[in-house]
Amino acid sequence: MRPEEISKKTEQLVTIKPEDLSPLPFPYDTYEETPITPLKEEQKKKWEHSLDGVSALTLPKPETPEEEERLVKAFLSGLEKLMTKENNWTFLQPLMLSMEYCAKCQTCADACPAFEASGRKDIYRPTFRADVLRKIAKKYLSKGGKILAGFRGHDIDLNWDTIARLAELAYRCTLCRRCASVCPVGVDNGLITHELRKLFSQEMGIAGPEIHEKGSVKHLKFGSSTGMTTAAVADIIEYLEDDIEEKTGKRIKIPLNKKGAEILLIHNAGEFMAWPENPMAFAILFDAAGIDYTLSTDLVGYDAVNYGLWYDDVQFARVALKHIEIARNLGVKKIVIGECGHAHKALSVIADRLLPGAQMIPRESSYTLLNDIVKSGKIKFDPTKNDFPVTLHDPCNAVRLMGIVKPQREVINAIFPPGRFREMEPHGVKNYCCGGGSGFAIMSSGNFTDWKRLVSGRKKLTQILNAFQGEMDPSIKKMVCAPCSNCKGQIRDMLESYEVYEKTGIWYTGLVELMVNAMVDQEKPFLEWPGEDDDDDM
Amino acid sequence: MGFLQILTYLSGLVFVIAFGAKLLKYATMPMHVRWELYPIPHEGKEWGGSFYEEIDHWKKVRHKDHMAQYRFMVPEILFIRALHEDNKPLWYWSFPFHMGLYLCIGGLVFLGFGAFVQIFGMVPENSALASLFQSLTTVFAVPGYILGTIGALGLIVKRTTDSNLTDVTAGIDFMNLIWLGLLFVTGFIVWLQDPGFNVSRAFFQSLLTFGPMKEPMSAIHVVNLLIFIGFWAYFPFTPMTHMVSKYFMWDKVKWDDNPNRGDAGMDSKIKKYLTYPVTWAAVHIDSQGGKKTWADIATTNPWDNKEQK
Repeated sequence: MRPEEISKKTEQLVTIKPEDLSPLPFPYDTYEETPITPLKEEQKKKWEHSLDGVSALTLPKPETPEEEERLVKAFLSGLEKLMTKENNWTFLQPLMLSMEYCAKCQTCADACPAFEASGRKDIYRPTFRADVLRKIAKKYLSKGGKILAGFRGHDIDLNWDTIARLAELAYRCTLCRRCASVCPVGVDNGLITHELRKLFSQEMGIAGPEIHEKGSVKHLKFGSSTGMTTAAVADIIEYLEDDIEEKTGKRIKIPLNKKGAEILLIHNAGEFMAWPENPMAFAILFDAAGIDYTLSTDLVGYDAVNYGLWYDDVQFARVALKHIEIARNLGVKKIVIGECGHAHKALSVIADRLLPGAQMIPRESSYTLLNDIVKSGKIKFDPTKNDFPVTLHDPCNAVRLMGIVKPQREVINAIFPPGRFREMEPHGVKNYCCGGGSGFAIMSSGNFTDWKRLVSGRKKLTQILNAFQGEMDPSIKKMVCAPCSNCKGQIRDMLESYEVYEKTGIWYTGLVELMVNAMVDQEKPFLEWPGEDDDDDM
Repeated sequence: MGFLQILTYLSGLVFVIAFGAKLLKYATMPMHVRWELYPIPHEGKEWGGSFYEEIDHWKKVRHKDHMAQYRFMVPEILFIRALHEDNKPLWYWSFPFHMGLYLCIGGLVFLGFGAFVQIFGMVPENSALASLFQSLTTVFAVPGYILGTIGALGLIVKRTTDSNLTDVTAGIDFMNLIWLGLLFVTGFIVWLQDPGFNVSRAFFQSLLTFGPMKEPMSAIHVVNLLIFIGFWAYFPFTPMTHMVSKYFMWDKVKWDDNPNRGDAGMDSKIKKYLTYPVTWAAVHIDSQGGKKTWADIATTNPWDNKEQK
């Protein structure tokens, strides 16, 4: 399909059929897939869905031709602003280079897990949405753009259908940037998707509801994207202390708002709600290692997420600056980011050039600190307590986009018996996204959950299953270590949808939970497998 | 001075101005936020690691392995390694095409050297140096023509028949390949007529001396020259200048992992950018149509204290 066909007046451009999808390994090689649930008639009337029958944004249809026209003009205006230094100094240079220089070689297509998993649907090629944007910019914003537009390859119609499909298409890429890592001329089609999302959000107020209204807005309004308020967070921490006492027999005080502490530890607040074992394990490890740290209960300070990273520079900056301000007010020496991949990149890398150097504060990955704890010998580990096969998922944000590859592997090798750790293929900086990247893990509007299950998460499920081939008997318990909240969320959803634990014995957890499980001082197993505890919500 | 010489000067002028403007445009764009992509060769960690793997990395002196960048980039430029590793079916044609271009450029450089020494009376018949330049011109240019022709033809066929490429290939892409293909083919024919490149060298000499062209030029040679002149002026306006992205996207984007440690230059840029006016129109930005700056909107939390916490 040519990118120009995005403007076509048709009910739906593409249909995802189960028989087209890439095959899954044993024991799912004969698995009968459930197709994407079609939207209900009333939903179809309300929401744009003409790209692939999926609505991730629940984007309302314009009610009048005048409204359509206004939205088309707003889109063009946003595209113009995207290409000015005043409005987009943050990404102007890589954006303009990527807009100008695609060599149309399609090398990126084979690197894209969504394209491959979908059965190579053209609309999911990394170049497809980028080309649509390039063609619109050339035809409608460059001088003489309409002259010989067909011959020059950018004769595209700009209408509401184009824009509505482009908006949905901006949310069919996980921003893993695998495509950029193989491009022979350096073009970054992942960045173009990022910029497209910015255009929609910053100019037109269009974004995934879970990452904007229910995400960064809630974060700035209540203190956390989970909706957890500053008043509630102290209570939750107290519950964690009770749970730690129950699990370890030891009362550990989790320090809050401790001025002058060495470290401000910020978790993804989703951990408190969905995987409390994770912040509990951090508290146990830091206590045992004698780490001088604190958590914050200040607005925004107890939630490391920064959803603006995926769609809006302004929302991004507001949250990042708040994190830095809180750390400075506490007088800590550094911020340590918990097991959250996008928070790693947001605060360590992207936020690095938001303020003059003197106003910044050092940021460090928890993976690095945890490895340092292991190497220091301050905590004794007994690898035989983790005597089960394990594989490691590499969160794109922390690994390909930050270069933190070895520390988490060194930790695993120290807390597992020899031969128990097996890598996924490929891994490290060549890893595949979990399928929940760029906000997908928390996005569930319309029938988007089905798309994630069938398409974006498929490659990772394939990798996980491949890592344990030969030991698929469900009585052999096996673990995927995913040291990132959003990746964990996506992997949980995939394992549950496909009943992977029941069929193969594969489950998932974070890194710190595995560390505490292997601690010599830990009398009872810290890890809980499904079915071991009725209250388990791991 | 003849018509062809004037056209060549004009073409060169257009090239220098347009290509220079392009470089200047990208070089003067604002410093962007970091957007690196690993592996970064200068980190010196073959597994793709970075300084973030080290505890208290900001307290340590950074060691950049600059030679590693060259070890990566030289084979990348010469042999198009990325394509070789990730898209071999296309590399089989793209590599000879690019290598053909490089060799022809090399041949042109040696032709220029030969023309230069010829000004001082050193010709292949009486000078070892001039003879060496003549031989090197042939050694570079002739394989260049052959490889370039094979590559151009292969790419045309590939773009016509490969379903991955047909939908993304426009008329202009075929035109560019045909244009370059004709340059290689006519160049080869010119060489068959003039194996010593004597006429070409004489033309180059006339360009260097602003003098008249003494040797007669065949019709096919004139065609070859016109194809070259046209392409030279056209090239900077096309995406075929992807060596620009190859430099900036790697050196200034994917490999730019310079942390903000209070460097005066970086600080002054950031301070300047924070004063830029913002005109984004979405309600939550609250830019007030450019009345607010990046510093204003980034340090304002529109939702703070509006709801009970």
